[in-house]
Amino acid sequence: MSEPRYKLHWVTVVVESVKALKEAILPLVVVFISGSRNNESGNWFLDNWSLIIGTVLVVYLLTSGFIKWRRFTYWFEDGELRIESGLFVRKKRYIPFERIQSLNYTEGIFHRPLGLVKVQVETAASSGGEAEAELTAVTREDADLIKKRIADGKKRKVEETGEVLEDGIDHAVPNEEEPVEKRVFSLNPKQLILLATTSGGIGVIFSGVAIFLSQFGEFLPLDKVSNELAGLIKFGVFIIVLLVLVGLLVAWLLSVAMTFFSYYGFTVRVTEEELIITRGLLEKKRTTIPLSRIQSVSFVENPLRQVFGYGRVLVHSAGAAGDGSKIQLFPLVKKKELYEPLQAIFPELDLREPENKLPKRGRRFYYRIDFMWMIPGIVLLGWFFYPYGLFSLLIVPLVMAFGVWQHRSAAYRVSGSQVTIRSRGFSLETSYTMRKRIQSTHLRQTIFQRRKKVATIHLNVKSGIGVHDVRLRQMDVEEAEYLLEWYEPSRECGESEFGCL
Amino acid sequence: MRKEPANKLSRKGLTVWRLYGWLQTALVLLLAIGAGALTFFFDWPWFIYVIAVAVVVIYGWLFIYLFPKIRWSRWRYEVRESEIELQHGIFIVTRTLIPMVRVQHVDTAQGPILKKYDLSAISISSAATVHSIPALAAEEADELRNRISALAKVAEDDV
Repeated sequence: MSEPRYKLHWVTVVVESVKALKEAILPLVVVFISGSRNNESGNWFLDNWSLIIGTVLVVYLLTSGFIKWRRFTYWFEDGELRIESGLFVRKKRYIPFERIQSLNYTEGIFHRPLGLVKVQVETAASSGGEAEAELTAVTREDADLIKKRIADGKKRKVEETGEVLEDGIDHAVPNEEEPVEKRVFSLNPKQLILLATTSGGIGVIFSGVAIFLSQFGEFLPLDKVSNELAGLIKFGVFIIVLLVLVGLLVAWLLSVAMTFFSYYGFTVRVTEEELIITRGLLEKKRTTIPLSRIQSVSFVENPLRQVFGYGRVLVHSAGAAGDGSKIQLFPLVKKKELYEPLQAIFPELDLREPENKLPKRGRRFYYRIDFMWMIPGIVLLGWFFYPYGLFSLLIVPLVMAFGVWQHRSAAYRVSGSQVTIRSRGFSLETSYTMRKRIQSTHLRQTIFQRRKKVATIHLNVKSGIGVHDVRLRQMDVEEAEYLLEWYEPSRECGESEFGCL
Repeated sequence: MRKEPANKLSRKGLTVWRLYGWLQTALVLLLAIGAGALTFFFDWPWFIYVIAVAVVVIYGWLFIYLFPKIRWSRWRYEVRESEIELQHGIFIVTRTLIPMVRVQHVDTAQGPILKKYDLSAISISSAATVHSIPALAAEEADELRNRISALAKVAEDDV
C-alpha cells in the first residue's frame, strides 16, 4: 500500500534560515565590521570583500534552509514514522510507533500567525537535548494527525500481540476521545515576577555582556574619548564604575525579561499516563513527559527563596530531550502549597517531612575536609600579606558554621517502598525516590568514618543517559546498613509503614 | 554489623596487581633516573638524589606490596539469587548492592596480561551505572556471567 507523503510548511525555510543565521551571527558581524575599516585601495573587490563574503554566506544559509524544506518528507508506513531528508546525503530515519515516548510542541514567533507548530519526537534513545526527529513546521491539523496515527499504531500493536486481550475488553478498546487532562499547577503573575527577579540567569547574561564588550571594545571610538578625558581621570573612574553598574542593571533586567517570557503562563496538566507542561509568551512550548519515565522527584529550596518560604520542584526523567533530563516541574512554589499539586500528580508519594536526623558524632566530617585547602591558603596569605593576610583566618569559623548547617539540615525517612533524603549543598534538596527507581546503592566508609561509626549512602537513580546520585553523608552506620537491607530484594521488608526499620 | 560478601577474587589477581605495581614503579624509576642525571650535570644539591631514591622505594613499597595486598583482601563479591553485592576500596570501603532486576547486561573482558594469567574481568551494567569485578579465573568468570544473565532474566520486578 502506498501511503501519502507529507511535507513541512514553507515557513520551515524562514525558521531554518533564521536559526542558521542566529548561529552564524558572530562571525558575520566580525566579517562586516572588520571589512568596513579599510576601503581606500580603489579595487572594488578588495574594498568590499566583507560584503561579498557576508552576502555569499547569507545566500548559502537561505538556500540550505530552502533545500531542507524541499527534501524533507515524512509518512507513516508499517507501524513506523518514516522521515527522509538531505540533498547530497539522503538521510532516512524510521521510528517504530511503540518506541515513541512523547511528542513535544513548540510554537515560535513565525509559527503563531500561521497556526503552525514544531513537533519534536522523543524516544528512549534521544539524549543530550537532541530529539530523535524534528518536524520544523507543520499545521495544527497535521500535528493532530501525527498524534492520532501514532496512538492508533500503538493500539494496533497491543491488539496484535494479544496478551492484553485476555483480561477484558476495556483494555483492548480504549476510549476514542482525548484523555482527560487535569490542571494541577500554574504560575500566577505575582509568582512569575518573583521567579524572574530571583532567577540565577543573571550570571549567564553578565558574562554574555562581558564577552560582547571585549569583542566590540576595539570598534568603539574609545581612543578619541580617552584623549579628551586624559585630564579628567577621576571622572573617568567614576564613569567606568557608573557604566559597570548600568551594565549590571541592564543584564539583570534582560535576565528578568527572559525568564518572564519563557515562563509566562507556565501550566502543568496531568493525564493518566503523562505530564504536560506548557509555557512561554513569544515562543509557546508544550512538553510531555510519560509518568512512567520519571525516576525521582526533588524539592529544592535555595537559601534566598527559602527565607520567603518558596522552592522549586525538579523531576529526573530517563531519556528526555528538549529540556534535558532534569525538568522543572514547578519552577516556583510555596512550600505550604506544595502538597496538593504534587500529590495530584504522584498519588503514591509520601510527602511527609523526613525526620530522622544524623548523629552528632559525624558532624566534624562536614567541614574537616575543608581544612585541606584552608590551612595552606591561610598560611600563604598570612605569610605574604602579613598582617592583613591573617584576616583570612575568619574563613575557618565560616566554613565550620556552614558545615554544621549542612549537618543540621540533613535528614531522611523510609516509608514503605519510598525513601526521602534531605541534604544541603548550598540549596536544601529533598529527594523523594521509590525503591524500584534506584538502580544500585553504595555504602561508603573511610577509615576515619569507621572509627566514628558513620557512613555515607549513595542511591543511584537514572537521569537521562547519566546518573543522579542521591546521597546522605555521615549517617549512623547501622541505619545506613538498614537502608541497604531495605533496598536488598531478598530481604522481606514488606510494604509496612517503616519498611525494614 | 553487616556480613561481608562471601567470595574473594582469584589469588592470581594479586599477582597481576603486583605486576601493574612493578610496571608503574619502573616508570617512576625512569623519572628518578632522569632527575638524577639532571642533578649530576647541573650540579644541583646532593639531597635530590636522596629524595629520588626515597620516592622510588616508597612508591614501590606502596604500589607493589601494600596497596595490592589491602585491595585484594578487601575485595569481596557475592552473587545471590536476587542481588549482587560487592565490597572494595583501600581508604574508602565501598559496598555496592545491585538487584538482579536492575541488571541490563553482563560482559567479561580479558586484556593481554589478564589472559596470560588466565583471568577475566566482569562488568555488570544497570540502566545507569556500571560495576566491575576485576580479576576472576576465566572459567569462573564465564560461569558467573552466564549465571547472572540467567538470574537477571528470571528476576521479577517487585514494583
